[in-house]
Amino acid sequence: MYDVCIVGSGAGGSPIAYELANAGFKVVVLEKGELYDESTFNKDEIAVSRRDMFTPPLSEQKHIINEYSQSGKFTRYDGEKSGWNFWNGSLVGGSSNLMSGYFHRMKPNDFQLLSVYGEVKGANVVDWCISYDELEPYYEKVEQVIGVSGKIVEHDFQEPRSTPDLPFPMLETNGVTKWFDGACEELEFTPIPTPRAILSQNALGRNGCYYSNFCGSYGCASGAKGSARAALLQKCKAKVVTDAFVYKLDSKDGKVVRAHYYTKHRIPHVVNAKIFVLAAQAIESSRLLLNSKTKEFPNGLANSSGELGKNLIFSAGGSGSGRFIFEKLTKEQRQELMQPGLFFNRSLQDWYDYEDGCHIYKGGTIDFLFEHQNLISRVSRELYDDEGNLLWGEKLAEKIEKTLTTSRVLTFEVFNDWLPTDHCNVAVDEKESDKWGVPVGVINLNSHPQDLEVGEHLAKNAVKVLEEMGAVEIDYSISSSPPPNLVAGGCRFGNDPKTSVLDKNCKAHDLENLYVTDASFMPTGGSVPYTWTIYANSFRVADVIKKELLS
Amino acid sequence: MTFKNRRNFLKAGVLSSAVIIMSGCSVFGITTARDTIKVLENDLFPRAKELGINTADYISIILRHPRVTKEDKRFLKNGAKWLNETSVEMFKKQYTKLSSEKRHLVLKNVTQTKWGSSWCDTVLRYTFEAAFGDPIYGGNNKEAGWKWLAFEGGKPRPTKMYLGRGSYNV
Repeated sequence: MYDVCIVGSGAGGSPIAYELANAGFKVVVLEKGELYDESTFNKDEIAVSRRDMFTPPLSEQKHIINEYSQSGKFTRYDGEKSGWNFWNGSLVGGSSNLMSGYFHRMKPNDFQLLSVYGEVKGANVVDWCISYDELEPYYEKVEQVIGVSGKIVEHDFQEPRSTPDLPFPMLETNGVTKWFDGACEELEFTPIPTPRAILSQNALGRNGCYYSNFCGSYGCASGAKGSARAALLQKCKAKVVTDAFVYKLDSKDGKVVRAHYYTKHRIPHVVNAKIFVLAAQAIESSRLLLNSKTKEFPNGLANSSGELGKNLIFSAGGSGSGRFIFEKLTKEQRQELMQPGLFFNRSLQDWYDYEDGCHIYKGGTIDFLFEHQNLISRVSRELYDDEGNLLWGEKLAEKIEKTLTTSRVLTFEVFNDWLPTDHCNVAVDEKESDKWGVPVGVINLNSHPQDLEVGEHLAKNAVKVLEEMGAVEIDYSISSSPPPNLVAGGCRFGNDPKTSVLDKNCKAHDLENLYVTDASFMPTGGSVPYTWTIYANSFRVADVIKKELLS
Repeated sequence: MTFKNRRNFLKAGVLSSAVIIMSGCSVFGITTARDTIKVLENDLFPRAKELGINTADYISIILRHPRVTKEDKRFLKNGAKWLNETSVEMFKKQYTKLSSEKRHLVLKNVTQTKWGSSWCDTVLRYTFEAAFGDPIYGGNNKEAGWKWLAFEGGKPRPTKMYLGRGSYNV
């Protein structure tokens, strides 16, 4: 029997594996996907970005999506028929292999959204049951173990730190960042070098970044990116079982006793362990528990509260862009602009909260980055003229050549709170099942109107920077479209078993030995990408489990 | 293209994406999506050929690829059928047998329609995959597409094509 069985090998599960295996415990990690590593990752745009090689085919595994309007009506989408894809990365290390590694800590106020900013009508806002101070040592641990590079600069919303700076120096940046910093100075904004979960030099038994120009969406071939696989699973002796889709957890007398999994050829297996840790990504973790009904838990395992699957959240916001064209640049500026490989790495948090009228709103983060270098995608964006007519022949070739060789796009991404609401949650479908015959997850989607208002406020400030920098074709889109790679909630943690699924240590209130350590525990998401917080919380829970196993 | 028996006809239908061209209520002829798209790609994006890039064979990979949905494959085949039927309607010949001037006129016509614009958009995106994807897939000869746009492919490069079954395979 294993001491610990972990379902899912991403950022939520791997810190547990790393800590407990290195402490001498017998740990097994069950991962649905395959193993890829530094020796097999490459930059094949067709495979990675066009054929989605790291996510399951929707014909075999899909979701049902119900999109709710503010009036309460909804439209139902079949994931396979609509192509609406909520998978992120089915491989050892999960989607942390494919992240860009834009790392921001949550701020102290993010842990007490209700207390600081008050109730929001129509939203289920609560305070977290732990404080920033309780998580801070683990944020710092992530900096050291996963490897976070950058430079801390003082600004109005800089969170308290136990160390003065990040442990690894900044990655090299493109010359255009100077234009950005100059524009921010004019506007009296504070540019922040974006912390990245990418090693700028050889360290931690991994190679430093080699500036491949293809970071986000791609696996890292040097090990510089702080994926759960490179930074944790490859640094411990936990047993990783690939091709293991866990479809059910058995429970008895208040304990989980075994995990059932299928291989891709539907061969069933069983794993017994003393402690089970669920970290299959927020939507899939809720789905697995809902599919693990028993007489004792007729509405899903660990669901005596009826809260399982509820309050699913994403990162609200959107994105925008502006283009720099050669006609407006000097020769030196053109060279700086077109320099390949180097990062942009600038963020703004001047409006992490802001006053509008007589109310203080929780705001968010804006990350700036160059348009992704995927060439097929960039060429495909030139298919239409300004009137929306399809181009072909020589006109198309001329447009592609001019756009791609004499201009470059700087983009921005807005991150603000996706307020939890009653209609945004996870359920399972009674009729639709996946290739193994297991009921698929239903994603009920709803966004709060305030999410869009805050996103607009942030985007308008980002536009000011692009204007000041001299960009043209500036545009942005703030929408309620959920980013599938920024999902959390469904198994809220809290002190009251009647209103939360997990306790403050992310253990199910209902069961003695079941923990959930992906982003499911988060009652609110902060206004930053989640990965750093997922890693930090998982390290925190690992300490709790270690104590329990030692006692 | 002729078929000695029904089984061969059906087999050809799966492997070479045969499409039946109708003229009104009568069968005008049979062609394949692959043959039609080969000619069409060069009409839509002649720069590829000028750069020495052969995009023609790539569509065969797409028509067999398990990661391309059945609906997308059906759309590719149906579009080839509709394009040929428009050609027959306009010039009494299937698309591949028309002069380049007449093919140009057919394209001007179909790209004004909703289906034609959408279908040519799809074909062009696959053409771009061939022209600007990794040379391992058979297009982008000597990285000519990348060189044209002063693009450096990301490294490491793939050593095998991804054909959608399991991990990387040939």
